[in-house]
Amino acid sequence: MGDQGLVKKGPGAATAETQVPVIEVESHGHNLEPDYKRLPIGPDHILYPVVVGLALFPILMGDAGHHLADDMPDDETHPFFPDHFWPYPIIAVLMLVVVGLLAFFVQKNLQLEVSADPRTVTIPRPDWYFLFLFQLLKLGPELIMFGVVPPLIVTVLLVFPFIDAIAGPRLAKRLRWKSWPVPGRNIYTGAAFVIGLAVVALLELWALAGPLFCVPWPLTGMVCGA
Amino acid sequence: MAIPHPRDIQLAVVEWLDERYPFTKAVDEALYQRVPNFANAFYYCFGGMVFILIVLQLLTGILLALYYVPDASGTPAPAYTSVNFIQSTVFLGWLIRGTHFWGANLLIIMVILHMARVYWTGSYRAPRELNWIVGVTMFLLILAFSLTGYLLPWDTKAYFATEVTIKLAGSLPPVQLGTFIKEILQGGAVVGPPTLQRFFTIHVFLLPALIVLLMYIHFRFIRAHGISEPM
Repeated sequence: MGDQGLVKKGPGAATAETQVPVIEVESHGHNLEPDYKRLPIGPDHILYPVVVGLALFPILMGDAGHHLADDMPDDETHPFFPDHFWPYPIIAVLMLVVVGLLAFFVQKNLQLEVSADPRTVTIPRPDWYFLFLFQLLKLGPELIMFGVVPPLIVTVLLVFPFIDAIAGPRLAKRLRWKSWPVPGRNIYTGAAFVIGLAVVALLELWALAGPLFCVPWPLTGMVCGA
Repeated sequence: MAIPHPRDIQLAVVEWLDERYPFTKAVDEALYQRVPNFANAFYYCFGGMVFILIVLQLLTGILLALYYVPDASGTPAPAYTSVNFIQSTVFLGWLIRGTHFWGANLLIIMVILHMARVYWTGSYRAPRELNWIVGVTMFLLILAFSLTGYLLPWDTKAYFATEVTIKLAGSLPPVQLGTFIKEILQGGAVVGPPTLQRFFTIHVFLLPALIVLLMYIHFRFIRAHGISEPM
């Protein structure tokens, strides 16, 4: 270090200027963390085999493309490890605890009924995630409610990015909007999302209300819960 | 000959690997890849939670398959008695089966939440359209997992629920398609042992293979595109 690196403070005192070395390694336009901030986990560290698992990700998934973070200033980004990674092991353990507790305390749903016998007569009731569909079937001709409506919804869901990209800007132009916002900021696609969820929730609740809860329905007469 | 220090062995292994693949560089890149600060919001964790749950389902599923017998002949059927055996006799069998059952329920909730987040923040937009399609397909596969897994205990509830499902699938237009689907799923005139065999095969071999493949594609796309812009 030359004389320029020395800062005099007080008569006769000379201390070295604190310098944080920044490691110049090409990492998508960012310098890696200053040396003092980096984890001291090198290839000779006892914990290195633990972090090696993370390397499997780039090895298996190929090189990263150009990410949004590459164009952002350093203070608006953070390193993946450990800053972004640390919640996941905790979440994994928490979820394991939650399902373990459910398995321990809510045994009722796991109890088996008698062995299947085709000679008996049972009115089946599907699990909660198909209950809304089960209720939907009662609202019209089975062929339409099962063969047309659900496949149509699935198709719309699959091609939604293209619908949004093609029809969205045209509608925005007609509405004299500057752009076509994402559903979270868009009255049309946002409302469609909320209404869709509300319909599913209503059908679900209707089914859960039980077979004694009946509502008159114009197409099929009285429709009861499941 | 002196026993080498474990650190020296580790270094030698890393060096050996490094000569064959840029191993330390890959570790370094993975560790210090930058992530936007807005991605720290809790709702960006949903995708990771889905991944964790899928892994949990695969692991508990393998453990259950060690004892499960996919045979529906006789009353009570071996399939039914094997599930009963897992539930009441196998060491911690009740916990493994309970974890698999509740994990499946939680998985559906988390997939819906993850899809809702992706939709709400517009993360399906270009260039991520294909990843959205892969994601929706994975959601359908997870529902198929639930549907096929429901029959495996071979109790009354499972039997009649599956009978209705197959009947509905068989009513799909045109008639030939409906009949074909029904025959493929049922494997006979009524829901019986061949149906269980087919549902078991789909649940244990076909669907896991497909979901692992789609997860790989999903992650490759995420790796290529990174996190989308904030809302």
